[in-house]
Amino acid sequence: MALKVEAKHESGHGTPHPGLGSQPQPGSRIRSNTVNLILLVALVLSIVLATSLGAVRLPVAAVLHAFLHPFSAGEAGEIIFALRLPRVLAAALVGAALSATGVLFQGLFRNPLADPFVLGTSGGAALGGAIGIFLIPTLSFAGFSATAVLAFVGSVLTMILVWYLARTSGSFAMETLLLAGFAIGTMLNAATVAFELREEASGSGLRVLAAWLHGQLSIPDWKQLGLIAPLTIGAIVVALPLAGRLNTLALGEEYASQLGVHVGRVRVGTVIIGSLLTAAAVSLGGLIGFVGLLVPHFLRILIGPNHVRLLPASALGGATFLILADTLARTAFAPTEIPVGVFTAFLGGPAFLYLLHRRSRESGQ
Amino acid sequence: MTSSILEFRDVSFSRGPRLLLDRLTFSIETQEMVALIGPNGVGKTTMLKLASRLLQPTSGSVLLQGKPLPDWSRQHLPRSIALVPQELELPFNFRVEEIVAQGRVPYLPLFGSGTHQDHQAIEHAMEAVDIVKLRHRIYSQLSGGERQRVKIAIGLAQQPKLMLLDEPTQHLDVGRQIELIALLRRLNQQGITIIAAVHDLNLVAENFSSAILLTPEPGWIAGSTAEVMQPELLGRAFCVSQSDLAQYCVSPPSDGLAQVW
Repeated sequence: MALKVEAKHESGHGTPHPGLGSQPQPGSRIRSNTVNLILLVALVLSIVLATSLGAVRLPVAAVLHAFLHPFSAGEAGEIIFALRLPRVLAAALVGAALSATGVLFQGLFRNPLADPFVLGTSGGAALGGAIGIFLIPTLSFAGFSATAVLAFVGSVLTMILVWYLARTSGSFAMETLLLAGFAIGTMLNAATVAFELREEASGSGLRVLAAWLHGQLSIPDWKQLGLIAPLTIGAIVVALPLAGRLNTLALGEEYASQLGVHVGRVRVGTVIIGSLLTAAAVSLGGLIGFVGLLVPHFLRILIGPNHVRLLPASALGGATFLILADTLARTAFAPTEIPVGVFTAFLGGPAFLYLLHRRSRESGQ
Repeated sequence: MTSSILEFRDVSFSRGPRLLLDRLTFSIETQEMVALIGPNGVGKTTMLKLASRLLQPTSGSVLLQGKPLPDWSRQHLPRSIALVPQELELPFNFRVEEIVAQGRVPYLPLFGSGTHQDHQAIEHAMEAVDIVKLRHRIYSQLSGGERQRVKIAIGLAQQPKLMLLDEPTQHLDVGRQIELIALLRRLNQQGITIIAAVHDLNLVAENFSSAILLTPEPGWIAGSTAEVMQPELLGRAFCVSQSDLAQYCVSPPSDGLAQVW
């Protein structure tokens, strides 16, 4: 017996359905391709701008010249390629990784407040990394230091723990999720501080750890960037088909399962990719909070909640956002640098509280 | 092979120590319109979840089109059976058409977007429940009746042969209830077998061909509407006297408004 639903009139061919493809849709929301193009241009501009700004101000023309002729850039080239550009690219990668993770975790938990910092997975990654720094600093697996691998493991384990604490009969109580994340995050940070206080800890490890706890971006060497950049971009690309499934998951786990979605696989995939991205972000910048919450939130207002569009847009937007935030953090009170994590907390904290307030009012109605 | 679309064979279901469904056995023919009735907490939702494989029976088996549910693939089952849940809350501001499009997920490959057929199925589903003009609205801002129709549209986009609805008339005013039942009858005439959990007994007698009554013992009675809708059976199931029940159900409920409170 086949379904016969009679159409009153034949609908036009190729009527766009944004939930399925990535075609544009009419209405007040801005087309996704337009937004991505604008975000890409903004990213390039912010890289150039951020590279020119700093203790020694370089004219934009000099920056562009150095980008085009990297081996004949002289003293400006030294500043750009040894100090500025690695820091700017680190900011871009951390911003992209944290924002993409925010989108993935928010989709998974069906909660716009989920963010790697809020859920405590950043803390888990930092503790894992700290263990790596102090206990087995010289070990490495397949090019990745023990620190990076342990940061990943720390993030995954935290996620699993928060998951089981917050889960009640197929859904997540918001309070439990946030409180579990808060408690675990605080414990992990405290444990990392305890590591910091160990007297026999080596000097450079201590500095790395202090930077992590404050959310201070490091100036990575190009080899480190060469590892983390493909990892971050690759993880975001691999997450795209998952993002489509997160749209279905918005209907609820049971509903998604009824529609044939393998919920368990989506869950595992999201946690693994989110943890990889968190570990990448933490290894470059430590605990930088609320980026994964702010960026997806504002882009959702612009282009809607479809995760397939939100993921790439948030990665681009997050990269630009953190470049600008870090530039401000290192130039506003020059010569003193504020850790960018402090800066994002000042911006993101109120935004988080506002969202929390709005949600509790909605659920109170 | 008979024309049975859904068959329960000795299906029992326990939650913890509590036996909720006891050797439930019935067979539903293609294009029937079945009301699932019974007091709160008796296992109506559970039965619908067992029928759509969201729950596994403790013992016994459920067959869809003569094939046991465990033998259906993850993608093919939702193309034959659609469950319209009681509540659907969305965490983000999805638009109506984005939500209805989720009904095509069982037809989509992991990579790639929808085909022309998918788009057409979505259009038809929205037309059938008359929500085309709501397509750009935000789901969470819709009224109860509008939401109900969007949920049914998701189910229609699945192009199922069997549609299960959990309390579709809940939270609706009398006018919207009548509209909704009329919609279900229309879909039924177009070839979809309907099983709906319904609270309002006044809606059952006139609109449904058969009924399954679940009772708290646990027990069950399945048959034609006339066979099941008998005062002494209903009185025992709902634990009220027959005279109280008679006062509630004024027959015949010709205009669907004949309720006495």
